Amino acid sequence: MAKILAVDDSASMRGMVAFTLRGAGHEVTEAENGQLALDAAGAGAFDLVLADVNMPVMDGISMVRALRAKPEYQGVPILMLTTESNTEKKMEGKAAGATGWLVKPFDPEQLLATVKRVLG
Amino acid sequence: MAGKRAAKRDGEQHDEVATVVLPADCRIGAQAVLQAELSEALRGGAIEFDGSQVERVDTAALQLLVLFRRALDARGGTLSWRSVSTALNDAASLLGLARILELPAVGPA
Amino acid sequence: MGAVDLSQFHKTFFEESLEGLDAMEAALLALDSGSTDHELVHTIFRAAHSIKGGAATFGFADVAAFTHVAESLLEEVRSERRAVDTGLTDLLLRSVDCLRAMLDRTAKHQPAADATSEALRAELTELVEGKIAAAPAAAKATAAPVAGWDIRFVAMPHLLQTGNEPLRLFRELQQLGTLEVVRAFVSDAAPADFAALDPSQCYMGWELRLHGAVARGDLDAVFEWLDGDCELAIEPLAASPAEQAAPAAAPVSSAPSAVVPAAAPAREAAAAGGGGGEGGSIRVGIDKVDALIDMMGELVITQSMLNNIGENFDLSQLERLREGLAQLERNTRELQESVMRIRMLPIGSVFNRFPRLVRDLERKLGKQVRLELQGEQTELDKTVLEKIGDPLVHLVRNAIDHGLEMPAQRRAAGKPEAGTLTLDAHHEGGNIVVRISDDGAGLNHERILAKGIERGLVKPGHQLSDDEVAELIFQPGFSTAAQATDLSGRGVGMDVVRRNVRDLGGSVSVKSVAGKGSTFTIALPLTLAIIDGLVTEVGEERYIVPLISIVESLRLPADAVRKIAGGGEVFQFRGEYLPVIRLHRAFGCANAIAEVERGIVVVVEDEGQRVGLLVDELVGQQQAVIKSLEKHYERVQGVSGATIVSDGSVALIVDVGGVARLGRRSKAA
Repeated sequence: MAKILAVDDSASMRGMVAFTLRGAGHEVTEAENGQLALDAAGAGAFDLVLADVNMPVMDGISMVRALRAKPEYQGVPILMLTTESNTEKKMEGKAAGATGWLVKPFDPEQLLATVKRVLG
Repeated sequence: MAGKRAAKRDGEQHDEVATVVLPADCRIGAQAVLQAELSEALRGGAIEFDGSQVERVDTAALQLLVLFRRALDARGGTLSWRSVSTALNDAASLLGLARILELPAVGPA
Repeated sequence: MGAVDLSQFHKTFFEESLEGLDAMEAALLALDSGSTDHELVHTIFRAAHSIKGGAATFGFADVAAFTHVAESLLEEVRSERRAVDTGLTDLLLRSVDCLRAMLDRTAKHQPAADATSEALRAELTELVEGKIAAAPAAAKATAAPVAGWDIRFVAMPHLLQTGNEPLRLFRELQQLGTLEVVRAFVSDAAPADFAALDPSQCYMGWELRLHGAVARGDLDAVFEWLDGDCELAIEPLAASPAEQAAPAAAPVSSAPSAVVPAAAPAREAAAAGGGGGEGGSIRVGIDKVDALIDMMGELVITQSMLNNIGENFDLSQLERLREGLAQLERNTRELQESVMRIRMLPIGSVFNRFPRLVRDLERKLGKQVRLELQGEQTELDKTVLEKIGDPLVHLVRNAIDHGLEMPAQRRAAGKPEAGTLTLDAHHEGGNIVVRISDDGAGLNHERILAKGIERGLVKPGHQLSDDEVAELIFQPGFSTAAQATDLSGRGVGMDVVRRNVRDLGGSVSVKSVAGKGSTFTIALPLTLAIIDGLVTEVGEERYIVPLISIVESLRLPADAVRKIAGGGEVFQFRGEYLPVIRLHRAFGCANAIAEVERGIVVVVEDEGQRVGLLVDELVGQQQAVIKSLEKHYERVQGVSGATIVSDGSVALIVDVGGVARLGRRSKAA
């Protein structure tokens, strides 16, 4: 199963994501903001990164940009967890190098389906 | 991580064939090293790929092999496969690149 | 729905949402007072945004719907399409209050929305009207049956760096129908020189044919994330005789989102528990945990050192053993402090509610207040912190309501129109001291005295010092309040404040200067769990007197104690007559010293009242971990708890206030 990095400043959202993914057998590392996620990413090779957009310290978009600058994260799928239904924000994420997005609210099944889709 | 270049003598028929072993994790992150290795291999004429160890492979890797094949053709070199893992074969087939890469059937050649 | 039970995250969601609302409120207040820091707007937006996302995820539809509108409004502010004015901050502050109430009801499994929230939501909606109403229904793609699709897909060079792996896309397509790769090609953009190309760039293109009755929407969903990462042309298979009117090759742009927006109304009332229960968790800074781990490390070293000494001990090592034991003592003390520190939280979390309260009161009373907060970083035990909020609110309310004058009055008195209210927290000895001071009119001596007489607390004609008059306001029955429980209501008596503070092991007092202002001082113990105590012996028993209440210990000659009418005893101490309380008598101890000159009198103070406690002997100082008697036995008058002393026996901890009250009673009698 995959190694997944879950990044969200909301402990409940992060908990929900991590719990759901662990239940499906994935190994999940949690991070509270973009900066901590970068630290975690440096220490472990993740197959997938799920990241909130709006976070203090370092937001999701800056985090994606920084991750993509690391050679080992060039091709790793990064999904933005966003409530932004407007195209503009999604495109901002994409321009930074995000693979795609999952629109909040999502339930555990939608999360698992998307993760499965991305992991191929 | 990256493929070791094993330009070794291989039995009777392929005396001057250079063998390039493709790494187990043959994805985008491994391509820079593989590219350097392949660039050097281009100088010889006959290249043999050993793809038996490949477990994970992506479009970047297959594209590199395709571009290598194109460069090799331009120089009049030849390409052969010693063996191909299932993962490599599946990926190449899915992207429709098996023919361009002259992949043999799965398993040891 | 779903196999995963999300109710376990509800509590976290409520906690973080309330925190978010606090942050939102603080930022709104900062904006309101003229700050133009754009980060404030982001903070506010982020909080609303998180609550909306979480509420929708956990099925709290009412909360999600409410925050959705608030967020839309905030988005306009964030993108500078709407200016911030008082009207807007007012509205948003009301929204914060409303959301707190909604979350509270949700946690109690009650319907979150009520008339107030609906009205407020309508008000918010009206403000963002145009934008909301204009939201178009998602355009439905005509799903005419087709035999399949021709897809031309050419990667842009950066495609692979977005993690959108063509292999994955092709696999997804395979699941929709039968995928045929008609042609794979290298684009002209690929450099001819193999050694010079960048392997992370993608130069590939494909012509694909997908056979099967695949809906266009499903196809679009596969390529949903690739807008701008590829050139894409999709056409229905020409072979199909059915439709000619099908759309011509169109690049996939903003495909409809695959996920349904927050609409599904889930009644949270039925949801399993998890929101309401009092789990009592605490958030601890990593630094504190690290300190603890450091401490443990040292303890382990000490232990192994002592082990070493113990293994082949002889007298030559006595000095080392002493050193080791001293080190162990130090380690233990530090460890204890670190553990205690885990329960300590900055008082700032309580102070933070005051800017809002002050602002509201200013408007309501027509006064101007400059609020100054000092020492927000001062840490308090979590339990104390949770309970000190209400008394502080009351004192702040009181200071603004009764202490500070109206602007005109202040001007007439030569003061600035805006009164200053200062909240200050700091360490003082073993206590945390919180001061609430205002530069208002000060306590009205005459009116308080008159009221004291009216209420029968003071005999008419009695002369009282300033301090004694001030003390009157804390007396039960001084206030006119009808109900004495709801501190956040108006007009509740100071006696409730004092009782609440006293319950926390603290004290409250007031100093006031006419025309200059008043200062209320609350002294609180650092923690409720441990006290520094003086161990005393009374007969065969041990009593611990809290160090903070001790003024002095002394030996008295036999003639220093005088009997007074009613059987009480007093002695003179620093020009004042203090009652003597014989602890052996108060607690019924056998074989205790009865002659004053042979025992020791410990002078203790509680809320400005001093008494002398007669004990046999002083044993020494010790930190006492308080064990509740109520929990293990029952409440005992004059005793606040029990502890284990160093020889392993049980000692009772003297409740100085309780004992002093006993003494006052006997003095008054």
